[in-house]
Amino acid sequence: MSDSAFRPLPDEKVWEDLMHQLQEQAQGQPRPFFYNRVSARLISRPMAPGRTVPVWMLRPAYAALLGVIMLALSGDAGALRPVPAASTGTAPDSEQPLRAHPQ
Amino acid sequence: MPDSPADICLPDVGMVDAEADLVAQLQTGSEAAFRTLVARYQDRVYRTAFSLLRTPEEAEDVAQEVFVEVYQTIARFRGDASLTTWLYRLATSRALKTRRKAQTKKRFAYFTNLLGFDNNVLHEPPDHAHPQALLEGQQQLQLLLDHIARLPDQQQVAFTLRHEQGLRYDKIAAVLDTTVPAVESLLFRARQTLRKHIQPHLRYV
Repeated sequence: MSDSAFRPLPDEKVWEDLMHQLQEQAQGQPRPFFYNRVSARLISRPMAPGRTVPVWMLRPAYAALLGVIMLALSGDAGALRPVPAASTGTAPDSEQPLRAHPQ
Repeated sequence: MPDSPADICLPDVGMVDAEADLVAQLQTGSEAAFRTLVARYQDRVYRTAFSLLRTPEEAEDVAQEVFVEVYQTIARFRGDASLTTWLYRLATSRALKTRRKAQTKKRFAYFTNLLGFDNNVLHEPPDHAHPQALLEGQQQLQLLLDHIARLPDQQQVAFTLRHEQGLRYDKIAAVLDTTVPAVESLLFRARQTLRKHIQPHLRYV
């Protein structure tokens, strides 16, 4: 273990001075005519309630996921399944009679 | 500034009434009320953002966004928290969001540099400052600011609201939506971490 854990805390006076400096440097102000810039920003921006689509709908991944869920729920999910491989060679309807009438 | 929860006091009734009046006027869409709001709170909002971002441009951008959001959503303000608390909440959350974005961008730039997509320096230049130089007041303050920026978000917000904005413990608790003992704990841990890092440099004083 390093000996840093056993060092005494810095002098309270030094720490207080540092806190005082910290508070002094935080006394900044925005540039003049701040209100004008806020108004300009307000005018240039459409009001939030006017939005017809929720924000999350604007994310393509969410929109795509919603599409897939709706497809699955509507029973059209078959469109998403892969087509059976052509190498089987026989059409499904040609196999049915063979099973129905075994030799 | 006293540094204990003992300086907690009840909110000034007159101030609460003034805030309630201002909110009521804002909710009617009064431009004069909005101008008053900006004039009254712009410094506090700007300083809160600045203490978390440390660049005047980003702090101004966040401050503007806070007032735009207030204007657009004041109709839904139900007064669960005071107007001041709401403004501090908006300022801190927006500032932290801005900082996270900037950090992500910085990390991305670092990796693109590393992969050689541009011809800038491949790593951050090392700081060759001699420890003795850290004794200079400004550099010691800079060291403190660097370590404040590395604190966890909650600790950093509590510390800056207390030591830079001079907020009372109960106000900080309201902004962070937590209790006064939780704020005390956050501040204790923040001070402990900062002292641990600053201490070796203070030995030269």
